[in-house]
Order: sequence, then structure tokens, then C-alpha cells
Amino acid sequence: MRKIPAWLWILLTVGATGLVPVVMTDAFFLRLFTEALMWIGLAITWDLVAGYTGYLNFGHGVSFGIGAYTAALLIMRAGWPFGPAAVAGGVAAGLMALIAGWPTLRLRGAYFAIGTWALNRAIMQLALVLNFTGGPDGMRLPPFLDPKFFAWVMLGVVGATFLTLWLFLEEAPFGLKLKAIREDELGSLAIGINPAKLKLQAYVLSAVPVGVIGSVYAYWITFIDPVSTLGDLITDQAVVMAIFGGLGTLIGPVIGAILFFAFKTYFWAYLSDYQVLYLIILGLAIAATVFFLPDGFWGTVARRQEGRRALQKGMALAQLPEK
Amino acid sequence: MSEQVLKLDSVSVAFGGLMAVDAVSFQVAAGEILGLIGPNGAGKTTLFNAVSGYYKPTRGRISLLGQDVTGHAPYELAAKGVGRTFQVVKPFSGLSVLENILVASYLRYPRQAEARHKAQEVLKFTGLAERADMPAAGLTLAGRKRLEMGKALALEPKLLLLDEVVAGLNPTEGDQTVDLILKIRESGVTILIVEHIMRVIMRISSRIIVLNYGQMIAQGRPEEVAQDRRVIEAYLGEGSQAANGSTA
Amino acid sequence: MLVLLPQAIIDGVLLGGIYLTVAMGFSLCYGVLHVIDFAVGEWIMLGAFVALTVSTWLHMDPLLSLPVVFVVFAAVGWLLQPVLHRVLSGSRGRPVLMALVFTFGLALAFRGGALTVFGIFTRSLNTALSQGSWSISWGSFFLTVPFIRLAGLVYALAVMGALTYLLKKTDFGLAVRAVAQNKEAAGLMGVDIKRTCAAVYGLYVGVSAMTGVFVGAIVSLNAAMGPDLSLFAFFVVVLAGMGYLPGVPWASFLLGLIQSFFLIYLNPSYVLLALFTILYVILVISPTGMFRKGV
Repeated sequence: MRKIPAWLWILLTVGATGLVPVVMTDAFFLRLFTEALMWIGLAITWDLVAGYTGYLNFGHGVSFGIGAYTAALLIMRAGWPFGPAAVAGGVAAGLMALIAGWPTLRLRGAYFAIGTWALNRAIMQLALVLNFTGGPDGMRLPPFLDPKFFAWVMLGVVGATFLTLWLFLEEAPFGLKLKAIREDELGSLAIGINPAKLKLQAYVLSAVPVGVIGSVYAYWITFIDPVSTLGDLITDQAVVMAIFGGLGTLIGPVIGAILFFAFKTYFWAYLSDYQVLYLIILGLAIAATVFFLPDGFWGTVARRQEGRRALQKGMALAQLPEK
Repeated sequence: MSEQVLKLDSVSVAFGGLMAVDAVSFQVAAGEILGLIGPNGAGKTTLFNAVSGYYKPTRGRISLLGQDVTGHAPYELAAKGVGRTFQVVKPFSGLSVLENILVASYLRYPRQAEARHKAQEVLKFTGLAERADMPAAGLTLAGRKRLEMGKALALEPKLLLLDEVVAGLNPTEGDQTVDLILKIRESGVTILIVEHIMRVIMRISSRIIVLNYGQMIAQGRPEEVAQDRRVIEAYLGEGSQAANGSTA
Repeated sequence: MLVLLPQAIIDGVLLGGIYLTVAMGFSLCYGVLHVIDFAVGEWIMLGAFVALTVSTWLHMDPLLSLPVVFVVFAAVGWLLQPVLHRVLSGSRGRPVLMALVFTFGLALAFRGGALTVFGIFTRSLNTALSQGSWSISWGSFFLTVPFIRLAGLVYALAVMGALTYLLKKTDFGLAVRAVAQNKEAAGLMGVDIKRTCAAVYGLYVGVSAMTGVFVGAIVSLNAAMGPDLSLFAFFVVVLAGMGYLPGVPWASFLLGLIQSFFLIYLNPSYVLLALFTILYVILVISPTGMFRKGV
């Protein structure tokens, strides 16, 4: 039986998921569905830079906010339709990543984390002080409320992102080269890799989809403000989901996002008075995952499988006659 | 007339006031194995770093196959045909043995299928084929040194820089590595090798260069160099100087 | 405008004092344990809230709770460090980055905890010194030196003096410096690495928490103020050079001066923006700090 190529699986899965909004039309459910997809997108893009390349981007949310604000401004002040505005949101986030990425990626590990965090907070402050972004009161967008529409749009965006990342990271040489940079940046130079170029590509590639997602968010929720789109919470949750799921794979963050989002929703439903309790859980979840399951949920599973296979191979080799 | 693969023209590498490499000039002809020896701290690894692009020479010029490559970045030099190993082996620990070689293969074979094919070839050539799916971190030292060489070979280099690939191995493993080096030379690769194990380097090198305190103090055939007074002093001289109470 | 200059300078120096204590502990932590603690702002914040709680319960001046705050938090740090150490010495993933994420997670948890217990409103710590100030008239210049800020500076200098004495003149300090330079060798020489590291971390957390008391009294307390404080700590330490303790006073006072100048001459709502942008620019231009001695 011929093997079904991965990209086909992905398309089929996305297609199948697309049938869900047809069947389940409850508005509340569709909201959750859309948000879960959003988090998948945020988690896999964070993993691209953190898991594959080994750089901790603690300002990942800045692309989200830039996308949201770009789209909001274009729609509200320049009368653009949603589609082009969303694309522009992605482009804006990509441009920011290109400009900021080049100097920032020269920083090592912790400095990069601090640098991206500082950048994110700086942009948030910018949104707070500028009048034409609405300042602390944020911006309102036209009330276009169609749960099915947004469910499909989000699915489309995130599905396309997943497929693109899959092709770049798992099928093309790009992914393995990034991993080489992650393992030993200096050593990777000797085998013909230009880390500066590749890191920048990864960084921009992680920013553009997030910008588009941010634009969709703005049009969907119809209200954005600096804290909700440029605050720490976007990055924090994406980080938890990716780490909990397992860095360095694409499936890991998907699982992490779904599991964590499910938990969060359940939590919200039963303990909605204690929203700040969620922060505690989030923080402890990150700490606990790093401590107990550094490979994340999926990573641990994948490693066990690898280990079992290697063990089997080892036992097979051991049975060969001595050379 | 044999082709000149590498030429160093009065190359110096200075760190602040310290001349790690001091006006070194030599050439390496195609198909040669040129040995580089010298006491600890003589500047051998620094020289390697300069030739492979990790350090930019403070003075002088480096030419590869007639082309000036002074100050080029390591990945540019890799593309131009320089492969190297590191004294302290640097496998990509989180990747499998195959993946280690595969990444290097992408330089010459940007497409997956061909790169994979090349990687399998290199694995067979270096005797690592059975351990292809093993995590690189699980290799023994001998395995890692082979992997190191494999990664460099996947680049299809014209010039291969080997930095102490035999040190730390037991005699059997050492001999196997020497056989591998000779096999590499036979396949048309020029080799510049640093090694402390004298019997190895004297045996396989067609010529030897001796460095001391960053300067080249002797060059010639192994037998000649072994008898050179300055070389003997360089290796033993420190000892006798220390015995006399002076600091080197 | 120029008439405000002396005040700006005074304010800057006083602010610098606060940054000094924040940064000293943090730089010590990094220099010895090689850990960047993303929760530094949260330790400060928690220290302030504990002081608030204690002083409210016992009806006493928050400044008097300083010793209690120190002891409590030093103990917490002492107990927490082995956990951090285990993360740092993990065999999988990149331990240093994972440790960063770990402290990031802790910071979140602490923030959430504080928000849960204390709510979102801003408070302030009222101390005996909070109200008074020195007024100095000098020609056309008029300077106000609030007592509490002066106390903050005194505290900063006292802590700096104590830490310097500890590091340079005691056996413990010698052990700490040895561990910072070469952990293995220090261990081989008979230094109890585990206890020394735990003690350093405890010291850092204790000092940070005490600083929180002053921050709460001088500025204000808010359960969400951690991240901004952490960024300030990073700012100072990066500017000074990571792990380079002698650079810290310079960087602290420079930051204090920059901030006070912005506060006086610039629209206050732009201050944070300007500071974070400067931090970003400094990181990019010179990650090893102003003296280029950072690690």
C-alpha cells in the first residue's frame, strides 16, 4: 500500500476539521473552536524559534499585537476590507521581525530572551501613549459577528501555517539546519550553514502568521487594547502550550495547545471568579513541565518510542556474530 | 606540476599583544598529507581556526586553490572546499548520527533524496552505517571522532583539516582511524593534520611543519624534521628550561 | 528648565540607590549561579506585600519589618535553590534556557498568587519617613529631598557595603567567589557547593525582598509590577555587564539619572517607553555592558 504523504494527511485533517463548524453550529462552541485554533497557531510558531532553533522569544506576542493594530487601523481609519487588512497585518509583523530580528538575533540565549521581552513591552508602551492607536482605551472594530466565518478563517490561517511549517521544518533541509544551529551554532558554521541568515528566516517565518492571526483576532473580537494584544499573556500562554506539548516537533505544541486550552476553558467555566488563579496555574505548569517533563508531553512519548526502537535495534545487533 | 591546494603567506593571528600565529608561510600540494606538530600552545589550533575562517588573520594572506580567501566566513570556506574537525569533538548531540551527516550533506546536495544518499555513502565509508539511527550523544569517543570526520567528508572537501583525530583512542581504534585517513587521501582529498601521537603523524605525513610559539621553526620530510636540532629543543627545551628555573 | 536640573540629579541619585540593591543581588545570582532569574521583579513585589501584611497585622511601621522580610525570603530562596539547581543540571534540552523558562514560570505563579490574594489595586506602604522631606533653598534653586528616598539610598549603600564586606573579607565570601570562578575546582578544594549556592540564592532573594519594602514605600505596590521591575534589573545588570559586580553602582545611578530626567523633562507616560527602548538599544549595541566586561 502506498504511503500517504504527510502534506496530504495535513490537508485531509484540516478539511475534516472544516466540517466541524458545519455540524456544530452553537455559537459558544464555535468561539472555543476558533480560539483553540488560534492558540495552536501561536504555539507552533513559538516552537519554530524556540524548539527548532533554540532561541527563547519572550516577546512572541508583539507580532500578534502588531497584526491586530495594523488591521484595526487599516479597517477603521483607512476603510480597508478585512482580507487585505489581515494580509497587511502579517506583512507588518514580518517587517518588524526583519528589522528587529537582525540586531536581536546576534544576542545569545538569555540576552535574546530579555531583548525580545523588552521590545514587546516597548511596543506595548507605544500603543498606550499614542493617541491614534486609541491609547489605553484601545480600538473598536465594526461588529461583524459570524462565528462560522471566523472559525473557518482561523482554521484556514492556522492550517496553512501548520502546513507551511511542516514543509519547511520536517520535509525541507531548513528544519534540520535550524536544529544544527540549536545544538551547536559555532559548529554549524563549519558545515556550510550561515546561522545569521537562517535564524532571521526562522524569526520572520514565525512572525508573519502570528501577525495574520492577530489581525483575525481583531476583526473577530471587535475590540483590541494594548494589554490584551501586546501584553505578556499572549506570549506566556503560547510558551506553556509549546513546552507542555514538546519543543522541537510540530505535533507537540498542537497537543499542548489543545490540552491546555481545554483545561483553561474547563477552569474558566467552573472557577470564573478566580481568573487570576489561572496565572498561578500557568506559572506552575511552566515550572513543573520544565522540571518533570523537559521534553514535554509529546516529546516524552516520542522519545520513549525512539528508545524502544533503538533498544530493539541494539538487541538485534547484539545477536549478530562477533566481527 | 601538482596543484597547490592551500597557501599561507606570512599569516599572523594576534590576540591583543599575543601573537598566537607569527608570520607563518607554507603551501600544501594536492594529494599531500601535511602534518602540523609543535608543543602545546604553539598555535596549531589557532592556525586551523584561521584557515577554516573562525579567526581572521591579523596579517598575511590565505589562498585556497589559487583564490584569496583571507577573512572569509567558515561557511563560505566550507562551500569553497574546506572541511575540518574540532579538537574537542562537537557532534550535534540532539540529532541522530545520520542526521549529523545529513545536515552537512545539504551543502553539496540541497535536495533531500540526494543528500540522504550521500549521507548513507559517508556513513558506510566511515564505518558508522550500523549506528545511523542512534543519537549522536550515545556514541563512544571513537565513534564521535569518526562522526566528526564524516561530517567534514560530507562536504566533499578539497582540503580536510584534521585536529587530533587519533588522540584519546586506544591503539586498535587509532590504527583504524589511520586507515581511514589514508583511504580519504586515496579518494583525492588533501589533508592537513595536527596530531600529538608522533608515530601516527610521522608515519602518514609526506611532509611535516613544526610550530613553536606561533612561529614555523622547521619544515620538511618526517625524517629530516625529527633530527632537526631546533625541533628537538622546542620539545625538550621547555623541560630543561623549567629545570633551570626559568619560566617559558 | 535648568532650575530643575539639581532636583533631577538628586532624584536620579536617589532612584539609583534602589536600582543598586535590585541589581546587586541579581548580578550576584548570575555571577555565582549563572542563572538569570526572571522572577527578580516578583521577589521585590512579594517583599513589599509581605511587609504590608506584617505591618498591618502588627500595627507597626513597615520599615521595622525589614529583618523579618529578609529572613523569610532568604529562607525561601535557600529552599528553592536546589530545585533550580536540578533544572540547571538537567541532561536534556538546553539547561540554561530551561532554567530561564523555569524562573519565568515561577514569576507568573507569584504574580498570579499576589493578584489573587491582594487584588489588582495599587497600594502604598506608609512609613514613618514617608511624609517628611528636606527642603533646601539655594539661590534660585529649590531642592526637595524626601526622607524616604534618602532612606532608600542609605539602605542601598548599606547593603552594598555589607555585600562587599561579605565577599571580600569573610571565608564565606571567598567560597562564593571561588564557586563563581570555577565550581569544580572550588568543590575539589573543599567548598560545600550546594550550601554555598543555596546561601547565595537565599541572600539574593532576601535582599531583593527588602528592596521591595523601599520600592513600596517610595513608589507604590501593585501585584502586577514585577515585570517592569525585572526589566529594570536587567537594564542595570546588562549595562553594568552581566556578572561584573563593580559595574553595578555606575549603571544603577546612570539608570536612575536617565529615569529622573525623563520624569522631569518628558511626559511621564513616555518614561517606560523610553526606558524599554533604551534597554533594547543597549542590548543590541553592547550586550557586554558599558565596560565591556560582561559575560
